Amino acid sequence: MKNLLSPRREVDEFRPRLRAMVVAVFVAFALLLGRLVQLQVLESDHWSARARGNVMRTIELRSTRGIIRDRLGNTVATNRPAFNVYITPAYVDIDRDLGRLASWLGLTDEQVTAVKQRLQDATDERAFRQYLVLEDITRDQLATLETHRRELRGVDVVSVPVRQYPYGTLAAHSVGYLNEVSAEELDRLREQGYRAGDSVGRSGIERSWEAYLRGRRGFQKVYVDSSGMSRRDRVPGMPPAERMRREPVPGRDLVLTLDMGLERIVERAFRGHPVGAAVVLEARSGRVLALFSKPAYDPNLVSTGLDREQARELLDNPFRPLIDRTVYEHYPPGSTWKVFTALAALGDSVIDPSVSYECEQRYEFGRRIFRCSHDHDEVDMSSALVQSCNIYFYQISQLVGMDRLARYAVDMGFGRRSGVGIATEASGFVPTRSWYLQRDGAFRLGATLSAAIGQGNVRATLLQLGLAYASIVNGGTLYVPQLVQRVEAPDGTVLEEFPPRVRRRIRVAPQHLDFIRRTLAGVLTDPNGTAHDALIAGAVSMGGKTGTAQVPQQRMPRDDPRRAWFYNRPHAWFAAYAPVEDPEIVVVVLVEHGGDGGRFAAPIATQIINEYLGPRRSDPTEPQEAQPSRAPRPTGAPSGAQRSH
Amino acid sequence: MATVLGQRVREAFDWPLFVTTCAIAVVGVVNLYSATSAAPGPAIADLYIQQIYWLALGASLAVLAAAVDYRHYERFGYVAFGIGLAALMLVFLLGRNIRGSQRWIPIGSFSFQPSEFMKILLVIALAKYLHNDPRTEGRTLKDLVVPGAIVAVPIVLILRQPDLGTASILAFIFASIMLMTRLKLRSLLTIAVVFAASVPLTWRYLLHDYQKRRFESFLDPCGERVLSGGWHACQSLVAVGSGTWIGKGFLQGTQNQHGFLPDQHSDFPFAVWAEEHGFFGSMALIALYLFLVLWALKIAASAKDRFGAVLSVGMGAIFFWHAFINIGMVTGLLPVVGVTLPLFSYGGSSVVTVLLAIGLLMNVSMRRYVFQ
Repeated sequence: MKNLLSPRREVDEFRPRLRAMVVAVFVAFALLLGRLVQLQVLESDHWSARARGNVMRTIELRSTRGIIRDRLGNTVATNRPAFNVYITPAYVDIDRDLGRLASWLGLTDEQVTAVKQRLQDATDERAFRQYLVLEDITRDQLATLETHRRELRGVDVVSVPVRQYPYGTLAAHSVGYLNEVSAEELDRLREQGYRAGDSVGRSGIERSWEAYLRGRRGFQKVYVDSSGMSRRDRVPGMPPAERMRREPVPGRDLVLTLDMGLERIVERAFRGHPVGAAVVLEARSGRVLALFSKPAYDPNLVSTGLDREQARELLDNPFRPLIDRTVYEHYPPGSTWKVFTALAALGDSVIDPSVSYECEQRYEFGRRIFRCSHDHDEVDMSSALVQSCNIYFYQISQLVGMDRLARYAVDMGFGRRSGVGIATEASGFVPTRSWYLQRDGAFRLGATLSAAIGQGNVRATLLQLGLAYASIVNGGTLYVPQLVQRVEAPDGTVLEEFPPRVRRRIRVAPQHLDFIRRTLAGVLTDPNGTAHDALIAGAVSMGGKTGTAQVPQQRMPRDDPRRAWFYNRPHAWFAAYAPVEDPEIVVVVLVEHGGDGGRFAAPIATQIINEYLGPRRSDPTEPQEAQPSRAPRPTGAPSGAQRSH
Repeated sequence: MATVLGQRVREAFDWPLFVTTCAIAVVGVVNLYSATSAAPGPAIADLYIQQIYWLALGASLAVLAAAVDYRHYERFGYVAFGIGLAALMLVFLLGRNIRGSQRWIPIGSFSFQPSEFMKILLVIALAKYLHNDPRTEGRTLKDLVVPGAIVAVPIVLILRQPDLGTASILAFIFASIMLMTRLKLRSLLTIAVVFAASVPLTWRYLLHDYQKRRFESFLDPCGERVLSGGWHACQSLVAVGSGTWIGKGFLQGTQNQHGFLPDQHSDFPFAVWAEEHGFFGSMALIALYLFLVLWALKIAASAKDRFGAVLSVGMGAIFFWHAFINIGMVTGLLPVVGVTLPLFSYGGSSVVTVLLAIGLLMNVSMRRYVFQ
């Protein structure tokens, strides 16, 4: 704008620099505009997402884990609320409240020091993170904290569901336990929907049925303001909050084939024996009625997290309570194995069962001398089984042969996992000629002698033995063991029912199976029977086979030498069924390092059978008194000679 | 006389300046309403009403400021400046400490921020100085000593409050005005070198910890340090960026309505605006400020004397630096310092100062043809 009246004004001096200023102002505002283009146009998606994330908070809705019941509806695993105490360092008044809190919660001085340290270390953002002080406080502690809630700033009690196992150690290995997913696992499990703080089944049914039990978490999105408070249900341009909800799906309930009453009976029958295991099966379905492994751990403790002392106690226990002796561990089956040697001989008509052999308590084979427990005199197959004569089976083992025995054993389920589907199941072991050739480069015929009486390299689990005996007494059907009978919704509707699953028909003629079944009754009834002492007068008829399995002689270097004798004692076995005619159940009992099978294992089995089946047989109004255990306490070290009966 | 005056006012009235000012003020109140609508409690929710009162007061003062021929102000320039300095010192005696700094003098139920008015007083003082020193040859460093001293005193006082934002605004206003005059290239370079060298020293000795934290988190506001200093800047970026093209709509900005924007009514009203009205709205608002600044420069160019020209450039500088620094900080181009956005931010002293500046601009603009 030119001023005509004043061609040379004093302001003209500024003109060039004013022009430069105009340019500078344009540049500056162009800079702002460019920045707005960047933020609002180019990066708008990023910032919009952040804005949405700001106002939307996802509240996870926990699902409840399915409840596990036994076949009669007794609760085996359920959930209960636990109350955990958290502290938010930023809000808590250490000097004023920590002392009171410690006395209410019964914290030790050590714990108080640790808490103090944590509170002082928590700076910046960490000061606002809740920190767990004590898990699972008692009702009294909860009540105290609730009373003083208003005075205790920064102290929160949070309720979380905790798994509860009302039966404690009973059937603990089969049911299993849970614990929290670790940070490393989370990387892997995140896509399956696990979050920090979630529990996951670690063993037993809790682990293998995790997918059924777990359920699916739900969520609810809420709109919040900067203080994290839920503000309103609707936010312009975003979906209404109630539509952003997914209901949690509760876990499925499981009904087991186990009978906890029977587990109790088994537990009682094992009194006085520190280590052992038992399996009880339905003979005609393969359903597992009881799995018992002693010693056991308390899944209630393991699930909530053991303290150091409890953990050491579990891990250092020489009887290894964490081991499931029914399926995870396998053992030399000893004389319970003779039944399969006999069936192999009968099945291929290797010998006539009426043919007798002379037992002179010793059997010379090559340069070795194999021994028998007694001088049995003349024994045929039937009396050899009843009296458990080793010599007889040494004799016929040469006719049966290693590989034929192996074939029959594998056919009856040995050497392979039974498919019970819990934990890590052992497969046992059935040696063959080629295995020895591969291992030793040579096959010694002596191995066959050992194999015929369930020694040497033969290994079997209790469950395998139970299933094989069931197949013998039920007429030849080998079942897949079954632990879960059905799956139910929380309201009780049956979602899935599992019928018994046949694994195969074993290739043994029914008359041979009948012969074995009848013969084994004599083990108890025959005065010379190895388990005759365990016979309970007037009890349910039953049959069975004893076993006294030699264990490899071992030194226990770190162990008390006075206890070494214990570890060199043979395992006591008894594999039984009842009743003899039309058998319903099969019971396999193992007393680890228990000694003589007939003296130590058989009474346990007869007691179990009698207590379980006895009341059902007699008049229900007059229940039969349970017989006390007649199992004598193990005394003295047995001689080291290889004996089996 | 009255009719002559009325006619002259009608002919010379600077409509573009008036309309632009009104537009920003109206939009500012509307935006303030949104910025405070979600706030808890009535103390903040009614701020837009108070802002209207302040606008009315400011407008009245602006009319007075425009009515008296500005050349009269030249006479009282230094006196007024001295009073301003006295008020700044009074702050330390009477001031209330609010969030770690002492900037306000309480007067009844209101409080008055002398540092705001100091901006105008500084411009008047500098204008008087340059008016009385009509040199056209290049100035050397020695020639900058007196004006430098004029600005240094209030800057030191304000830094002690502490109020880095206002102090730097004063420095920028001073620089803008001195750049109007012809400076020797060597002097300019010397200043630049000294300035560059002083940056690390300032960092080391003059800045407070909270100020340093803000600078540090400025580079990546939403990064790791978001909770220790970057929070304001980050949430502001989220608000602006999520506005996209057309914004979320009036009263519907989630960042604002859900309380994620800090100081949404004082330091960050532009974030509220950008979130709710998007890129187009932001652009329009920026255009208004751009026009205001350019118009001030135009008034300076057509002013009839040096005093009027310097006065206008000074007022333009006030608008420019406030708008640029505020929007720059809201959009993450600049670190967060408490600099208000003229007529957009809530604040009595700020509103009155800005409107006084507008009044002075109007004064110069209306008297460009009038001769003594």
